[in-house]
Amino acid sequence: MLAERPKRWPLAALAAIGLALVGAPFAFGMFSRAPRGAHMITSFAPYMTNRRLDGFQSDLRYIDGGVLGGQAAVRALDAAGGAKATARFPEFVTFERQWSAIDPDMTAMLDTIQANIGNFRAVAALPSFRLFPLFFVIPGAIVLLLVGLAWFRPGRWPAIRWVLAVVGVGLVLAPVAFQMFSRAPKGARMVSAFTTIETRARVERIQIYFSDIASGQGTVELELIPALRHAGLGTRQIDSTYPGLTTLDAQWVHVLNDMTPMIGAMSDNVTNYQAVAALPSFRLFPWFFVLPGLFIIAFVAVTSPRRRSDDAPVPRDPEFSKPLNEGVT
Amino acid sequence: MKARPAVRLGVTIAALALPSLAAASSASAATLKGVFKIGSGSYFRMGEPNGAFFSNPYSADSNKTYTLISAGSAGGLRTGVAQKAPSPAFDGQGDSLAAAIIKPTNFAGIRFGLATTSAPAISVSSGHLSGQIDGLVAEWNKQTFKQGNKVTGTYSAKTRRYVLTWSALIKGGPFNGFTGHGRLQGTFSPA
Repeated sequence: MLAERPKRWPLAALAAIGLALVGAPFAFGMFSRAPRGAHMITSFAPYMTNRRLDGFQSDLRYIDGGVLGGQAAVRALDAAGGAKATARFPEFVTFERQWSAIDPDMTAMLDTIQANIGNFRAVAALPSFRLFPLFFVIPGAIVLLLVGLAWFRPGRWPAIRWVLAVVGVGLVLAPVAFQMFSRAPKGARMVSAFTTIETRARVERIQIYFSDIASGQGTVELELIPALRHAGLGTRQIDSTYPGLTTLDAQWVHVLNDMTPMIGAMSDNVTNYQAVAALPSFRLFPWFFVLPGLFIIAFVAVTSPRRRSDDAPVPRDPEFSKPLNEGVT
Repeated sequence: MKARPAVRLGVTIAALALPSLAAASSASAATLKGVFKIGSGSYFRMGEPNGAFFSNPYSADSNKTYTLISAGSAGGLRTGVAQKAPSPAFDGQGDSLAAAIIKPTNFAGIRFGLATTSAPAISVSSGHLSGQIDGLVAEWNKQTFKQGNKVTGTYSAKTRRYVLTWSALIKGGPFNGFTGHGRLQGTFSPA
């Protein structure tokens, strides 16, 4: 009787691939890091739109307009005489100085975030990060199971080969199906771009900016505008002469409503971002599927059927070994 | 051999004395059930991670890092029950509608309120207040910030005047890493 059975070394190689697939998520800490990445994507999603980010840029322009209006108002109040206005509004002078550092830093940060909207969308369009560890473990476990089956039931090898081939093809096609070759490098670019943004130090700096801006806005509303009124300007005149002041005043609550949740999202996701950044580069992810898939296909292909007689020659039946003419007289 | 009866005696005395001591201890720390009415001098303050304090330009105090607070519709902080935020908890622009403990107070342009999600428990022992306000939350700008922690303070049984203070590190949100410092003072009104 003739029976196919697999060669041992390809089986060992396939087992190694299965083990590597199962072990990779553990080695890379994916079970803890990937859900954090999923959480980060969900948290950032409401902010990663051009409409929201344009809104934040407008918020900065409102504040900048308030500072420019405040400078003009202080100059006018100075010219109007009396005590030097700059000395009367020390908090505004402090805010003016702080704003000269805050504005470029916040603008640059928003520019960087906005430039990565496309990259973010690409990552968000991938299957949930939570599933990524399973994308390795499940095919790895299937490969190990099939190798085990082939080892203990060599007679089933012809069928097992086909199933292994299907697993291999699935691994090769998965990144293509999920457009990983285009999306994953974009994710890598986003992770790289956020390196200087999603840090505890940077977020704390933004929190302090917020505190400075809140204090500065208060000075505009509670000191500068009343001082202009005191100097004889009516509401309409203040509006037309210092539009930046009144616009900031009118938009302030909107600015708070808009910016504080974003600062909260940035702060809440520092550790989630760090978890994502600690994963292997996104660029490599498609290859983490394709290469094992190709190896599986290759090992299955090179596993040419072996005859049982190669390993253990079947003893010949003495009846059949007799010469055909024996006993013929 | 002589030591054994002495040990027995010691154990017996201890067994008899411990419940009495425990009872005496619980008797000396009386639970205060009622309302800690909020009077003048009560404030909220927020420490920044860099050691400075958040300056609230809308504060009525000359030192803008102190935001003065006044009694809400319930007169102040009630122990034994939770004073939950209403639903909805905010108006359209993010002003807190939680008005039972304190009157919602302007903080950087938006009014904040206080609520408790679980019942505070405060007791007094020899004029010293201690307890927990674990469920205390500050509500501001459509966001809720946990401010609960242990409280300490002083209390005069004669005048019922009290001072309660607490600090709580804010975890999460736009003020993550900031520390809220609160001080309530006024008179205690038993239930």
